[in-house]
Amino acid sequence: MSALSPHVMEEIKALPAKYPQPRSAVMPALDLAQEELGYLTPEAMSEVAVALQLDPGYVEGVATFYTLFHLEPVGKHRFYVCTNLSCTLRGAEEIVEHLRGAIGVREAGEVSGDGLFSYEEVECMGACEYAPMCRIDHRYHYDLTNQKIDQLVAERRSLTSGPASAPYPTPLPDGERDIPKPKRAPRKKKSG
Amino acid sequence: MGGPVLTEWFATAGLHKLETYEKLGGYSALRKVVTSMTAQQVIDEVKISGLRGRGGADFPTAMKWSFVPKDHPGPKYIVVNADESEPGSAKDRYLMENSPHALVEGAAIASFAIGGHQAWIYIRGEYDLPYEMLREAIAEAHAKGYLGAHPFGTGHALDVRLYRGHGAYICGEETALLESLEGKRAQPRSRPPFPAIKGAWGQPTAVNNVETLSTVPWIIRNGGAEYATRGTEKAKGTRMVTVSGDVKKPGNYEIVIGVTYRHIIEELAGGYLPGRKLKVFWPGGSSAKVLPASMIDTSTDLDGLKALGTMGGSGGIIVMDDSHCVVKGAARLLRFYAHESCGKCTPCRVGGNWAVRTYDRILANEGSQLELGVLERVADGLQNGRCLCGLGDAAGWVIESTMRHFHDEYEDHCLRHTCNVGAVAAHA
Repeated sequence: MSALSPHVMEEIKALPAKYPQPRSAVMPALDLAQEELGYLTPEAMSEVAVALQLDPGYVEGVATFYTLFHLEPVGKHRFYVCTNLSCTLRGAEEIVEHLRGAIGVREAGEVSGDGLFSYEEVECMGACEYAPMCRIDHRYHYDLTNQKIDQLVAERRSLTSGPASAPYPTPLPDGERDIPKPKRAPRKKKSG
Repeated sequence: MGGPVLTEWFATAGLHKLETYEKLGGYSALRKVVTSMTAQQVIDEVKISGLRGRGGADFPTAMKWSFVPKDHPGPKYIVVNADESEPGSAKDRYLMENSPHALVEGAAIASFAIGGHQAWIYIRGEYDLPYEMLREAIAEAHAKGYLGAHPFGTGHALDVRLYRGHGAYICGEETALLESLEGKRAQPRSRPPFPAIKGAWGQPTAVNNVETLSTVPWIIRNGGAEYATRGTEKAKGTRMVTVSGDVKKPGNYEIVIGVTYRHIIEELAGGYLPGRKLKVFWPGGSSAKVLPASMIDTSTDLDGLKALGTMGGSGGIIVMDDSHCVVKGAARLLRFYAHESCGKCTPCRVGGNWAVRTYDRILANEGSQLELGVLERVADGLQNGRCLCGLGDAAGWVIESTMRHFHDEYEDHCLRHTCNVGAVAAHA
């Protein structure tokens, strides 16, 4: 029994023709495989390799290089929380701590008991002006607060059939933003 | 001084739709190019503008295009670097979300200028919304006959295609990006050959940044000379900056090159949070050497920044105030550079992790004079072109520049095991 369904395999086999050289199809193909299975199993990577006439070790080498390919099971909804400098300056560490409690996991990569959530701390996602921010279900969420995290979690818990995408396109009215104030006050100089 | 260039039409709702974009004057540049100009005339117009690459390397755009051989018998490519991932920089996302057609039009014009037919936009995988907007924009342009086999009824076929990245900072380096586009692990190539001779899929290629190409239609519409009226004597035009961190109004702003960082941080971005003072800022993404508060009046002139040993880079201005610790900030950035090292060159692969372990010891109050010496040596080992690309250098710059300007904070941590955030004055 194969890991990937026949229609996905058909899609993968059609990919190489879209590029000047067939090898470029490897990442789009892994994307399709990951979309179906949630993460990339060794079997799935082998099947992608066979479909693209590449060495399985080569395909795995590509999959392990890039952050967005997962080789372990992940939650149905995966939070990617930026903890790079701009987000950390505006409280990303507190957001991650709150998120852990909200979805009930101890560390990054752990899947919540109900299988719905996991999280990962990632590097800059290019939305520094809205720090702290995260990405979940293919959408960015800006100016995060603990309340916004709770809301994102609650919305997904109440869904039975997959998340609804944000309305397209997401408006970005700079003037109407509610920018949360970082809480931390300057610390006093320690003596000695 | 002239008005805005990139954000000229951003106040118009629905700019991402072709109908709106065209009503304002969009695609008139591409029409003009394919129906009445030669490739050389396009390059000359951009040369007059003085436009330089806005991805960080600051290389003259027209010169880059002119390096692509004219008599090459096979395909030639424009590759758009939309893999924006420099910490502190978000301006390409902002441009693509607001005006995807400007990039599509610019990429098509660039393809024409190098005598090519295909432009590939390599966009980072996390940019779902910009990807979807570009996909629709390209489809709209095809439906109108502005792209395709006969754009505007002419015979020079033009197409713009999308390729999604999958999370690797190193793809911002152009040869690593090309490797990734070819379906490989993204590791920089040794040069020569340069991409202009042997780039994507072994063919001559010019790699341009999103902002650079989004500027090109404006230059064609209004003339290179008009663009060159903005900016400083040598660094022409306007550019986008992203201000993030400890300011009242973080955001993306278009500036005329040459204004001061004080203007950007204190006026455009609204200044500092109540009761706080500026300590340090990164003038052009996390890879640009830091400038202490005392240098807030530095100009954004790209050549002036180079003379100071730093750079305008990708325009990401990260502001840190006196409530934050420079050592912790630098430690966080080193974790980033160590994580994103592709592993090809030893100094970067080993040095990054070495720095991270040293910072870990320092922040666990296990530091001493020894750690200060290690950081200095690692910073030196990472720099000075010992690697194929600039990632290692950038990591070294973070250590070196923060240690140079804030040595007392490092000493507090290493020698006295204290963190005196909030009371340490910045030293130039």
